[in-house]
Amino acid sequence: MMRGKDVTLQGVSMRFGAFTAVETTDLTIRAGEFFSILGPSGCGKTTILRMVSGFLQPSSGEISIGGEPMTGRGPNRRPTALIFQNLSLFPLMSVRDNVAFGLEARGIGKAERRRRADGLLEMVALSGQGDKKPTELSGGQRQRVAIARALAVEPAVLLLDEPLSALDLKLRQHMRAELKQIQRMTGVTFIYITHDQGEALTMSDRIAVMNRGRIVQVAGTDEIYGRPANPFVATFVGEQNVFRGRVKRLEGDTVAVIETAVGPVRGINRDGLQSGDDAMIFVRPERVSIVDPETDDGQGNRLDAEIERRDLEGPFINLFLRAGDAPLALHMPNAGDAGSGLEGRQRIGFACEDTVIMRAGELARD
Amino acid sequence: MTEIVRIYGRGLTGLFLGLVAFWMALLIVAPQLSMIDRAFLYQDRGGETAMLALEIDRAYQRVFQIDQELELLRAAAEPDPAAAPSAGAAPSAGFGPSAMSGFGPGAGAPEVSADEAGAKIAALGQEKRLLQAKITELEAQETNTSGEAGMEEVYSLDNFTSMSAVHFEIFLATIVYAFCVTLLAFCACYPVAYAVASSDREGKVAVLMLGLVIPYAINELLRIFSWVMILDKQGLLNVALDTIGLIDLDAGEGFRFVASNGAVFVVMTYAYVLFMVFPIYNTIETLDRNQVEAARDLGASVWRIHARVVIPHAKPGIAVGSIMTFMLSAGSIAVPEIVGRGLHPDWFSQVIYRRFFEADSWNQGSAYSLALLAACIAFILITMAIFKVGIRDIAK
Repeated sequence: MMRGKDVTLQGVSMRFGAFTAVETTDLTIRAGEFFSILGPSGCGKTTILRMVSGFLQPSSGEISIGGEPMTGRGPNRRPTALIFQNLSLFPLMSVRDNVAFGLEARGIGKAERRRRADGLLEMVALSGQGDKKPTELSGGQRQRVAIARALAVEPAVLLLDEPLSALDLKLRQHMRAELKQIQRMTGVTFIYITHDQGEALTMSDRIAVMNRGRIVQVAGTDEIYGRPANPFVATFVGEQNVFRGRVKRLEGDTVAVIETAVGPVRGINRDGLQSGDDAMIFVRPERVSIVDPETDDGQGNRLDAEIERRDLEGPFINLFLRAGDAPLALHMPNAGDAGSGLEGRQRIGFACEDTVIMRAGELARD
Repeated sequence: MTEIVRIYGRGLTGLFLGLVAFWMALLIVAPQLSMIDRAFLYQDRGGETAMLALEIDRAYQRVFQIDQELELLRAAAEPDPAAAPSAGAAPSAGFGPSAMSGFGPGAGAPEVSADEAGAKIAALGQEKRLLQAKITELEAQETNTSGEAGMEEVYSLDNFTSMSAVHFEIFLATIVYAFCVTLLAFCACYPVAYAVASSDREGKVAVLMLGLVIPYAINELLRIFSWVMILDKQGLLNVALDTIGLIDLDAGEGFRFVASNGAVFVVMTYAYVLFMVFPIYNTIETLDRNQVEAARDLGASVWRIHARVVIPHAKPGIAVGSIMTFMLSAGSIAVPEIVGRGLHPDWFSQVIYRRFFEADSWNQGSAYSLALLAACIAFILITMAIFKVGIRDIAK
């Protein structure tokens, strides 16, 4: 059993000449947690990873691992191990030598190296493959070799730089479960870098969302998805229907009515906007439903929209509609033939409590 | 092949192939075959005709020397002494000592008085006439006996087996020397190639590459001579040492860097460095930089990163560079001649040169060079086997 350690960034920033890759950041990653850093490419997440691993020295601030400051320590002298995006297995060495490389570097004897490497290969379900070359293995197997190689040095923190991005969808989903299981089993702190919000949501205990060198929200997965801190997180994580408008009037402390191009929309005023403020309205597509005008109770928001396209995504049916000029997405569970006869103009509705109003801000680009 | 025909058409492809075949036949196959033929053809130098030929050669050489002396004497007798060439200005363009020796007897010419000079000219003229008569006689004799006695030519291994013990030692030493040069070149080139290949900045790479290429735009002989200027007793290196006060040149102190095998090694390494740098650079450049980082992240020391990751990857390039450097240095004649000045241990290339042009034994010279070629190839194959490099790796 290995032991994870906590990682603390105190006032850490990274500048390359005039360009600031990471703005001054404070962040604490708890010992033994699966922590993801999620953001679009170029947001600075890989820079943070490289600073933690020791390949980059921060321009300011200090990184500590397990309470020990890491300033001035090279990557070969930190209790971290990095799994590269392209894995970077050594192609000329056998799989076993790959896994044992870190032990070799620590001067551990040949027999002991072999024993430990075989043990790790067994853990990642690759026993008996030790004599092969990495190129003789499949993508998923190579992935597991990379994990075994990194775990061989018994790191307190395992850093993963989008290691699943090269795999196909099925394998990726399988490897997510496997990574999660290995993390639970070893107790090592995992810091996982990704731009894929699905990966981050399925595996992580907590997620930090980054944009333009700044961490914009750190929270558990449910909170990130359910209560995004700002328009960027709201649109980067999961899908959203977005309407822009202006606050028309307030109804009590929590509810506001926004005047939009598709008419007035009522929602939760979490940012405490005042009358006349610019606002954005977010509704998840799975919270939108088609309303039968016969049985409509009139509660919540109502819109009339034209169905433009219908996509079948196995368990879900995705409808793409247009309400006036505004596009609108709607996800409904595939319950038998439901939705198969839908076409033309429909009345749709979404509840007031599923409608989040935020101060207007930057959206994620898709 | 069909691809080439498709691109260039039948006519042009035929022309290309024809030219290549012509070039191979005329410049590679024919000379090699002729050399191999000569190497195995043994000329019995003890025969009557051989002795005749030798005598004729010597007579011709003496006539040539007399002509040179006469010219010098006459020039000295001219009224304008400024035109007289001084002994020190004797041209010495050739490499071998033979080119110098012809001028020896004429060295004291400007000293003699006009009368003495006249007498000497007469004496030399007399000797020359006698020699010319002798040559005519000997040549007539040669024509008569040719084909019957003397110069027997038979196919045998004698050209190889008659190699003297001294020559054989030089032969073995040369392979060791060439190996040393290759090793030196590798030690010098690997760090440079690695630094250039792993440099991020475009500009830095360009500067380093230019620095490597520009010296190679200069003639090889000039590059060698420039090293002589550095290493000579009165050369830049000793002057520099003198300037910083380590030695006193005026008091006759100073290191004799030239005319030693060390100097030959250094200059040869410099002469062939490019052939080592580029293949290594090319292979290191294809190495995924992340692998170096991965090794470092796993705790490997710099030495281990190179031993286990970089060098194994660069092995084909190192092999190509080493083969070129080894072959070039084993066959180099200019560097040991110019830098060594005959005072350092001989290289086998010099022995071959002398076989050809001084001992006038082309057949033995061919045998020697064939032996050197075969030994080098064998040495390379063995080395490749030891380092587990295949021909196919190199082809990559």
